[in-house]
Amino acid sequence: MSRGSETLNGGGVERRNLESLGEKMQLSSVFQAGGLNYALISDMETNKTIISELPPTLSEEFGALLRGSGAEPGSPLVLEAGGRVEGYGVFEFSYGPTSWGVPEAGAFSLMTYGERILKVVPRLNFKKRGVERAVLGLTPEDALLFVERSAGNFSAAYSTCFATAVEDALGLGVPSEARWTRAVALELERIYNHLYVFGRLAEAASQNIAATQTHALRERVLRLNSRHFGHRYLFGINSIGGVRRGLPKDERSALTTEVRLVAREFSELVQYFLSSRIFLDRLQGTAKLTRKDAFGLGTVGPSARGSGVQWDDRLTFPLEPYEDIYVNLETEDGEDTMARTMVRVREVESSSIALRELLDRMPSDGTKSGPDRRRADGLGAGFSFCRVESPSGDLIQVVQLDGGGRVSGLHVRPPSLVNWLPFARSLEGTVFTDFQFAFESFGLSFADSDR
Amino acid sequence: MPKIWILRGLKKGILTTAYPKSQPTSEEVPTRSLPPRPTDAADWPAGERGCPTGAIDSGDKKVDLGRCVYCRFCSSAGFAFEDGFGSRAGAMQASLTGNCATGTRHIFGRSFHVMMIDVGSCNACNLEVLNLSNPYYDLSRMGIAFTNSPKHADALIVVGALNQAMVDVLRRTYESMPEPKLVLSVGACAISGGIFRGAEGFVSPAGDAIPVDVVVPGCPPSPVQILEGLLLAAGRLKEEGVRR
Repeated sequence: MSRGSETLNGGGVERRNLESLGEKMQLSSVFQAGGLNYALISDMETNKTIISELPPTLSEEFGALLRGSGAEPGSPLVLEAGGRVEGYGVFEFSYGPTSWGVPEAGAFSLMTYGERILKVVPRLNFKKRGVERAVLGLTPEDALLFVERSAGNFSAAYSTCFATAVEDALGLGVPSEARWTRAVALELERIYNHLYVFGRLAEAASQNIAATQTHALRERVLRLNSRHFGHRYLFGINSIGGVRRGLPKDERSALTTEVRLVAREFSELVQYFLSSRIFLDRLQGTAKLTRKDAFGLGTVGPSARGSGVQWDDRLTFPLEPYEDIYVNLETEDGEDTMARTMVRVREVESSSIALRELLDRMPSDGTKSGPDRRRADGLGAGFSFCRVESPSGDLIQVVQLDGGGRVSGLHVRPPSLVNWLPFARSLEGTVFTDFQFAFESFGLSFADSDR
Repeated sequence: MPKIWILRGLKKGILTTAYPKSQPTSEEVPTRSLPPRPTDAADWPAGERGCPTGAIDSGDKKVDLGRCVYCRFCSSAGFAFEDGFGSRAGAMQASLTGNCATGTRHIFGRSFHVMMIDVGSCNACNLEVLNLSNPYYDLSRMGIAFTNSPKHADALIVVGALNQAMVDVLRRTYESMPEPKLVLSVGACAISGGIFRGAEGFVSPAGDAIPVDVVVPGCPPSPVQILEGLLLAAGRLKEEGVRR
């Protein structure tokens, strides 16, 4: 058992036997470390993260997952749940891997008899680059370049997650200012991704004014990223032990003001558009995902919160600043596209409030750790992990370092990967025109799940 | 309701970039001006292997822009970033490759239909291409439009590190396009593999699978850089990057 997971953030982590997996517990990930198989379990009742060794019987069951099913680049990963759909006139409609509706390389097999979607089978790994294997043997600093390019639009979440796990394994003390700066980047990333989702939904509903205005707001956030962090998609902001560039005092107030303006304009826009019957009709009741399914299929992020599942890593696995910052857990009971959209809409607002607090109260103790704070012993003793709430949900990374401080193992559980099956379930029985609404409202990214 | 929208629109003024009538600002092409550096560059660990993508030739200190992912490890390693990129304002500028048949480009004139294909990107390049249609860049004002089908496309934008699963798809997409056709490699991954050039999933630069006419370097290139590549492809740019 790793020291890492015990020391990490003091709370939320305990070790337990998998046999006691209760009703309210969710198996979030399985991984191999040091020749042993582990399960990472989220306890929804006590909001704790539990690491448990997998008994041999279960290891066999999850064998494919542990070995990394479809891990070979070029081999397809077909996420099929349940049997084939048979019936009069039922045929398989293949969508992707090149299409404008889904601006990424990924494919779906849709079972249909012409109008209604009976079943959706996502086909992944068209863009598997093999990040987890590419980083083996690299220094964590070099590995960051790969990790942050796993999913460009979740880059801050990816790099913060990786850096935190590595720092934890090394016993590296990171100054608070650096951690708070990372949180600022995470919130900016959340805001622009949520704006993207709303804009895409508006596009899908042919609400062109809403779409262009939302995309314009998103462009403003991207430019803020560029101005304050040096990259529109927040690449290269993190380093092991800190951030590459801190936010000077004068920039903090400017950033606060700008983000407030964006959030205010967005909430005005939303007010107007959610009074439009046409738009509402497309969102309400579309692609329902019941709470039972959302929990049972392990849905994460705003998609799960839209179905009433109460889990947000910022609250349930709080890294440093989030213990001190007020973040509201946004949930909805609507279970449909509307509910998922409203969770995101409200999170833009709550993120902007959290940002203001982050920037107001940011400590000034430097942006990187000194070399003297590095603990030399205990390298290679186990694994350390981290969970970060990316814009589309819970991102888990498990990092192992060898004796020389190089990466000897990386396990990534991307948020999109677990959201494909809930997405497919939500589309059963809907019509073709609902497809895009479901896809966008889940905030799915092929780059994220393929990595 | 519509009345409100007209007022709102007018109140906002013009958001759209002045490019290509004038040079893009540093905000529009952040990679061309130096972005905020690490606060104290010397203290940061440089990439262990020097330039992680091999973009910098340590001998003559030339930079292969098609490989640069803009990690800025070089600035920590004491290699002056500006030196390698030259004094040319057009560092990280779109350029024509040897393939490009100059004769036919002009026929695209003011109606230029473009399709994007992702062959294994991290999604950042995809988003930057999509951003071209937002009010800040508004590519339709130049008669450029996105299309869904290769059969309707004059140009193909390739993004991402070419994956084995996408090689055949890329070729077939290219073959279904009507002649004359142009191909743009957008982003370091499509041009050279970028950071993923040594990764298992990467097969070859897009240029090895299909003939590429224009390369747009960057990780990811900003929308104005992609726009520049599109205008260049359609033969609508003079050397200095402003519309002729």
